[in-house]
Amino acid sequence: MRRPDPKIVRWGILIALLVAWELVPRMGLLPELFLPRLSKTLTVLWIDLDKYWAALLVTLYEVVLAMVIACGLGIVAGATIGGIAVLRDLLLPVFSSLYAVPIVILYPIFTAWFGIGSQSKVMFAGIYGFFPVMLSTAAGIRTIDPQFLLAARSMGATVTQQITKVIIPASLPTVFGGLRLGGALAIIGVIVAEMLTASAGIGYLVTLNRTILDSPRVFAGILCILVLSVAYDIIARRLERRMVVWQSAGRRQQQASPRPIAQGAPAPAAA
Amino acid sequence: MQYVADMKGAQTAGAAIDIDRVSHVYAGPEGGVQALSDVSMKVGAGRFIVIVGPSGCGKTSLLMMMAGLRDHTEGRIHVHGAPIPKPDPERVGVIFQEASLFPWLTTFDNIEFPLSLRGMSREERRRRSEPMLSLVGLSGFGERYPHELSGGMKQRVSIARGLVQDPPVLLMDEPFAALDEQTRMTMGHELLRIWSTTNKTVVFITHSLTEAVYLADEVYVMSPRPGRMIDHIMVDLPRPRTYEMMATDTFGRLRDRIWQQIRKSH
Repeated sequence: MRRPDPKIVRWGILIALLVAWELVPRMGLLPELFLPRLSKTLTVLWIDLDKYWAALLVTLYEVVLAMVIACGLGIVAGATIGGIAVLRDLLLPVFSSLYAVPIVILYPIFTAWFGIGSQSKVMFAGIYGFFPVMLSTAAGIRTIDPQFLLAARSMGATVTQQITKVIIPASLPTVFGGLRLGGALAIIGVIVAEMLTASAGIGYLVTLNRTILDSPRVFAGILCILVLSVAYDIIARRLERRMVVWQSAGRRQQQASPRPIAQGAPAPAAA
Repeated sequence: MQYVADMKGAQTAGAAIDIDRVSHVYAGPEGGVQALSDVSMKVGAGRFIVIVGPSGCGKTSLLMMMAGLRDHTEGRIHVHGAPIPKPDPERVGVIFQEASLFPWLTTFDNIEFPLSLRGMSREERRRRSEPMLSLVGLSGFGERYPHELSGGMKQRVSIARGLVQDPPVLLMDEPFAALDEQTRMTMGHELLRIWSTTNKTVVFITHSLTEAVYLADEVYVMSPRPGRMIDHIMVDLPRPRTYEMMATDTFGRLRDRIWQQIRKSH
């Protein structure tokens, strides 16, 4: 039996979900308050398009700034901590533990410091996304094969050349993994913050409409966020694939690389 | 040969590598560890030298010292008449195991890496890497990435990278250790072919006694730590070497002598 193309299957599932979204409430299987039908959701979205568009722009603006903070600070801090042994031993365990703390508990403090406008969202989401970027940058630098650096030195590479021509490209795949995750967390951070305390943005619209039990408008907001997140993921993946062509294939190869094989001659006894 | 020995090295004229009573002590967790003890060797220009010895005997350390990649505490190492306090790719090329090719660079870019470090133009780099690529039998593979090459091909690229700056001395640290035995034999044969066309001085480290005898003009045997030279064996098999020679008595005797030396030293 031929297996169907996964692409077709994926689209099939998506379409089935959308159809179910329309049919389940229409057939009365779920009350419309819990799940307003898709057509209704899209209609209110169309009616309030200006409102949603404005909210989305606010959110997007906050997300972009938060990503810049998360990635910028994360890469700098990660490179410093990962590259300097003393700092690494001292700080890496601390940061790793902090990563597990639900930082959202700090959000009230952020609103106290930065107000309920965009600033608090940007700062909060920036810090939220900072951790995976920082940790993976540190890991990326720490796990570089020392053989690469030795080879570069043997060919006469200066310290600067070792950084630009070996350390940066070698750590890129790991760093990219962190950037993708950090970016996703920045989106989550912004939305969560908007839902908690805000005066604008998509998350704010969702919360606002929920309090007045306007389900179609809640779901319209959710739909916007969904599209935003998926679009981000697609862009990030594309970028990653383009930047580190060699990575995925290289990893597979490494796992399959043959072990040293014993020689036919009597092996010199290992010391 | 491009490199001209300076006058200070006149007393060691003819020796491409002159190692004189080198010892090395490094700081271990429980005080100083003696890694090398009173190692001396003189390598004539154009010779193919193989160093064998048990794991941890310091043969890789010794090679790294010849490459200027590691310090030694006592003694003197001269390469073409001058000490080598830091790597000098125009004097010494180093070839590591296959893992040292940069996976983010194509074959061309890997081979040209040492040239790009010196800011050579792209055209000039390509002009010099092309013949290296064909020398190692990989013409047409220049745009491939390492993960698209087999283990043996990767090692050919490493050799090309070691040769591209045309250093008179080539140091090889167990370059074929990660290859399966058939590929390893082929690569050894290939290496001899390349060596015979370039007149390089080669110092080659291996665990394989067969490989040692097959490749070498001279085999040095090292003892377990602290590493000392315990034997120096001339391999007077004719060149070019052939696979058939491995079945001869001479070959077997030489291999046996090395094996006895290593066993005795334990």
